[in-house]
Amino acid sequence: MVFAIKMWNNIRMIVLVAVVAAIYAATLIAFKTAIPLIPGITEVRVANIFPMTFGLLFGPAGAWGLAIGNLIGDIFGGTFGPASIAGFFGNFLLGFLPYTMWTTFIPFCENQYKWNKKSYKSWWAYISINLISSIACSIIIGVAVDILGIAPYEVISKIITLNNFIGGLIGIILLISVYDVTTKQLGLFWIDVLNVDVKKISKTSMVGSWLVTVGSIIGIVGSFIVDVSILNIKWLSVIFIVIGSILL
Amino acid sequence: MNLSLYQDKDTWIHRLDPRTKITGIILIFAMCLCFNDPIYIAILTLGVLFILFFARSLKSLWTLRYILILLFLFSMIIWPFFVKGKTVWLCIKGFYIHKESILYAIAMGLRLSTFVMAGMILISTTKNEDITNGLIMMGLPYPIAFAISTALRLVPTFAGAGATIVQAQISRGLDLESKNIFKRFSKFIPFAVPIFIIAIRYTNLLSMALESRGFSPASPRTMYRRPYMKKNDWIVLISLLIVFVIILYIRIFLQAGIVIKDRL
Repeated sequence: MVFAIKMWNNIRMIVLVAVVAAIYAATLIAFKTAIPLIPGITEVRVANIFPMTFGLLFGPAGAWGLAIGNLIGDIFGGTFGPASIAGFFGNFLLGFLPYTMWTTFIPFCENQYKWNKKSYKSWWAYISINLISSIACSIIIGVAVDILGIAPYEVISKIITLNNFIGGLIGIILLISVYDVTTKQLGLFWIDVLNVDVKKISKTSMVGSWLVTVGSIIGIVGSFIVDVSILNIKWLSVIFIVIGSILL
Repeated sequence: MNLSLYQDKDTWIHRLDPRTKITGIILIFAMCLCFNDPIYIAILTLGVLFILFFARSLKSLWTLRYILILLFLFSMIIWPFFVKGKTVWLCIKGFYIHKESILYAIAMGLRLSTFVMAGMILISTTKNEDITNGLIMMGLPYPIAFAISTALRLVPTFAGAGATIVQAQISRGLDLESKNIFKRFSKFIPFAVPIFIIAIRYTNLLSMALESRGFSPASPRTMYRRPYMKKNDWIVLISLLIVFVIILYIRIFLQAGIVIKDRL
């Protein structure tokens, strides 16, 4: 979480936030009414191919950019409301978890901040983190949207998870296409921009990774079990995800 | 490319300080959350419609008419399955439809529409730069506000670039009409990559331009158009606060405006 705050002192990272937000918002607006799933709430989000790539390449700038981009998408799309705040935090997680869990989600992670298309570890880390971040985002948004009376948690959490996960999987093609250009040619890889020197993975971050994972699994499995009090399950999973994210 | 829903009119709502409008909209959102009885929420919906009428922004609302209708219909269909009441109205093959569930569904449909309409008041009467200025004056750190305003400025640029790339790819034979969800996602890749590269190159240019002008995120700022609170702003804020207190009194002390007790 420390880099998500520190980055606001770096001009290049601030500009990256704006650029990421603008790309994400422009794509969200362009496809807002293309295939609505729940009109005015969620749609087939073609823009979801971006979050994993933005998160991995631009780190905290990607996370903030996705959060702001989603908010701008709501403003320009005319669906701005209290749910936009939940959307802000949910989309922040969608970009925040990929770069924070990339080296801490042991044993499903890489041992350094890099994407190597020839390494099975990179693929495994990408797919597992994509799943966890998709679920975590859906739980945060689902709980808020349910409380506000916009849509039931049981419905919205599954739709958002599927939407994010499919988008993320197809997003691998985007990551492979732009990884070298962004990191080597343009020099915009977040650890280079922020001069991050990670020598040792902290235990707190590992605990954070697993708390987010357990919270996400509890939340999504709970939404399938009919006879269990969903109220307690979803709050428990939110607590796990929030504490885990703070530790990351 | 103009994507903004802002309506350039000269009404008293347009002239209000952005801080008043942001706080006012938050208060309206909070008021909507106090009730789940359709009659009470309908009164709030009417109030918001009146404000939109005075703001001469019903045109913006008209562009969202299909979304509003669909939102309402969606609520009507989905909520009776998830929220149960006490009074059975109908029984269709073992599935009970309760009176309270239907009333709750109508209330949620109205609440959702009111949320969208209230958000529209802010968006259609306030310029993007005024919203960010208002947020800065409400305590939002400048670097975040700068990122938001730059992103707002860049969205039409990238949307325009995106439209050009789409046309270029279609002229090369890319078929974007497929309704299959997976195909739709994957067909986005051929123009996601050029959009990405164009935008990311822009990052370095903009960063260098900012650095060469001595931009510092932490430095204190001055504003070209500094918003300030006038008499009308205080009247609006105090009126909304009084309405909110009355609504809280009705909800908490009179226990009115609720059809389902354990839900907002």
